Amino acid sequence: MDQHIKLEIKLPKVTDIELVALDGLVLMGRHLGITDDKIGEARILVTEGIINALEHSGSEIPYVNVDFTMTKEKLVILITDFGKGFEPDEIKEPKIIDKFGTENKRGWGLKLMKSMSDGFKIESSKNGTKITLTKILS
Amino acid sequence: MVRNFELTSNLLKDVLVIKTEGYINNAGGEKILQEFENHFENGVTKVLIDIENSRVVNSIGISFLIEIIEKLNSKGGKLFFQNLDPSIEKTFTIMGLFQFAEKISTVDEIK
Repeated sequence: MDQHIKLEIKLPKVTDIELVALDGLVLMGRHLGITDDKIGEARILVTEGIINALEHSGSEIPYVNVDFTMTKEKLVILITDFGKGFEPDEIKEPKIIDKFGTENKRGWGLKLMKSMSDGFKIESSKNGTKITLTKILS
Repeated sequence: MVRNFELTSNLLKDVLVIKTEGYINNAGGEKILQEFENHFENGVTKVLIDIENSRVVNSIGISFLIEIIEKLNSKGGKLFFQNLDPSIEKTFTIMGLFQFAEKISTVDEIK
């Protein structure tokens, strides 16, 4: 069986706290001999997932749980928030042209996670949201 | 840990060159926008952002770059990027930035 390592972090809603998770990700990669270049797109997934959870969960519990399971071949990222949940199908896919002329130029997190991952699963209820992202590293 | 965001800028002929360092997050994106606006008010319509020393970005920071693109479009100007990390380039592609902005290798490519 492939060597795999796990990291589980509970992150408070603090400015730039996602950088803590990114540091952990890079260190896990180095431990397994995975270059920083191969971690590159995973960095984007982790950043967007955590920001999305902390910004949009509407939670009174200002924490997110982030779990990484990494092998040399694959990274699985699980991001859990404890907010009010949302209906993913109701989120309109953003387009840059539609952002022109509007105040709100944000709202790209889900699109980036879907487009950049090799596996994307979202489970949302009134008790919170779990996003599972898979990224092939080999 | 990623360094705090900083930027430097200078004018090369009619091109505003902004070099960033550190995390392009909400605060970093806002600083880039402010620096751009200082020069845009004086008629600058060509902007090059060199992000060689920014290896971490997020979509909130990038949303400020969309605002820069919008303002430049309104005056017939253009935004250029230099020294893009592959994952950041892919992020910009997914968000559609290259429909209006351009990746270049050197400032001399800007006409």
